[in-house]
Amino acid sequence: MKSLATAFGIAVTLGAYVLSRVVAKRYRSPLTTPVFFSTPIVICALLLSGFTVEHYQPAKDVMVFLLGPATVALAVPLHESRRALLNDLVAAVAGLTAGSLSTLVAILLAKAFALPAVVRASIALKSVTAPIAVELAPVVRGDPTLVAAFVITTGMIGAMFGPGLMDRAGIRSPLARGLALGTISHGQGTAQAVGEGALQGAAAGIAMGLAAVLTSLVAPVIVPLLL
Amino acid sequence: MLVALQWAALVAINRLGYAVAEAVRLPLPGNLVGMLLLLALLSAGVVPASWLRPGAPFLTRHLAFFFIPITVGIMRFGALFARSGVAIVVVLVVSAAVGVCASGFTSQALGRPRRQVEVPT
Repeated sequence: MKSLATAFGIAVTLGAYVLSRVVAKRYRSPLTTPVFFSTPIVICALLLSGFTVEHYQPAKDVMVFLLGPATVALAVPLHESRRALLNDLVAAVAGLTAGSLSTLVAILLAKAFALPAVVRASIALKSVTAPIAVELAPVVRGDPTLVAAFVITTGMIGAMFGPGLMDRAGIRSPLARGLALGTISHGQGTAQAVGEGALQGAAAGIAMGLAAVLTSLVAPVIVPLLL
Repeated sequence: MLVALQWAALVAINRLGYAVAEAVRLPLPGNLVGMLLLLALLSAGVVPASWLRPGAPFLTRHLAFFFIPITVGIMRFGALFARSGVAIVVVLVVSAAVGVCASGFTSQALGRPRRQVEVPT
């Protein structure tokens, strides 16, 4: 029974992922983002076949084994785009810091809405790239699953509305645009920035990496004070 | 076979990252330390990026896959989203908008006026 559930969980997840890639190839949209598209399919499949989250756990453990190594592998694209940052270091670091600090707005708003503490702590990590945010979750007493959901939603929001918002706000510098997308919307923002141009993409990739480092250092100290 | 070796190397660097973070009591997640270690090795020229192809790009290209099993756990939070879903979305949208503008304006104001987009080599 247990190994059956594991095999079923892996098969359904892989299938839903492949399906999302096929659909995204035809209809490119934030709504066809693999996680957003595939997660409801997997949940429905589990519910319909009578499996629970507990049954799915072993399958999940198998599948996330390579997540750590995949995070390490992000060093390769970062290394390739380092020049974009070095050319304009002050502007890049300042923009990155301003963007990361804006997460305070999220924490304070969440407090104003009286959201539960675990939600507020998890929202504080919304702009950190998912593999690192999930690791930080227990450090700030957030929940890894909520963190992943907020990270992915924020990625979609930024990728969908970020470029239009910057057009209206008069943010035209390619470095600034890439930096903003990478800082706030990490991987999905970077994908969007790559579509705008090479410099935007490089700036976004670096911003994503540095925002993760910055938040890892600052969040464990600041988040408990604000909750 | 080559890919398996490259993945094994990435697994080893990841483990090393956790060990270093633990030993030096770094306030950083181990996988992030591993990423910075690899970045240092690449920048120093100790490890050429070509040694990690195609295994490393394969993993980063399919990074999204790993978050499907993690996000499936949202099943446990049905009640929370029924109650506070709208508030959560408002918080995420407003803070993303503020963040994009704060980051974009700051770096545009401080940046050197640029020539046209330069293509990184």
